[in-house]
Amino acid sequence: MLLKKISTYRFAAYDLQLFLDTHPDDEKTMEQMRKYEQLATPLIEQYESKYGMLTKNESDGNNWAWIKAPWPWECEEDR
Amino acid sequence: MFVYEKRLQYPIRIKQPNARLAKAISSQLGGPDGELGASLRYLNQRYTMPTPELKATLTDIGTEELSHLEMIGTIIYQLTKDLTVEQIKEAGFDDYFVDHTTGVYPQSASGVPFTAAYLQSKGDAVTDLHEDLAAEQKARTTYDNILRLADDYDVKDAIRFLREREVVHYQRFGESLRLLTDRLDSKNYYAFNPEFDRACFNKKQKK
Repeated sequence: MLLKKISTYRFAAYDLQLFLDTHPDDEKTMEQMRKYEQLATPLIEQYESKYGMLTKNESDGNNWAWIKAPWPWECEEDR
Repeated sequence: MFVYEKRLQYPIRIKQPNARLAKAISSQLGGPDGELGASLRYLNQRYTMPTPELKATLTDIGTEELSHLEMIGTIIYQLTKDLTVEQIKEAGFDDYFVDHTTGVYPQSASGVPFTAAYLQSKGDAVTDLHEDLAAEQKARTTYDNILRLADDYDVKDAIRFLREREVVHYQRFGESLRLLTDRLDSKNYYAFNPEFDRACFNKKQKK
């Protein structure tokens, strides 16, 4: 559920970024894009502290955590 | 450079295996209008594009197609999980099974392996963008056909998302083509190549 929320906000932000590629001067869209990015940030922190990291992060220095976090193509019963 | 995120662009959770449907959907992995071809097409075309808008659009859509490749791989994986040999035979999946077991392999629904001949990088922005517009429509039609064949809600939900993205990409490529042609001399639109004949290309955007 938490990951679904993250994906929803990140997708909204990404779709607006793609729009900005062809409309680089659209300030309103830029503002909206930032709003969705900001909504996602605390949820990503929450998810990573609970279930493991979404991206490999050098500061973590712990490869074990990376292999432990769930793979996106797997359902819960596979693990 | 690319950074991997351990999540799908759109969540997929399929409860009912269906090998026959998996074979049909595999065309969007490695078929003529599939996500692998799309990604390679855009990520290779982008280098010689004459404007920053075009480079950005091709980079971003080419990258998004990689996440669609992962979504299709996930659908095939989940649809072919825990199959019995009986189910494989009944579903007509035996010809795929003999070569790949239930591994995910880029091929068309009829079994033709992926080939780079499915895509072009012509080194002419007008030509390439027309190919890209056509590619998005061809992928959209393929998703329409998959939706006609599929009766599983979980599969259809993910396929509808992917279909919608083809429509959005078509819009962005249409705008890209417009941005490009706005900078060309309207009297000789197709008389030169905006990527190669640099002297003929108007560097400054018309206001």
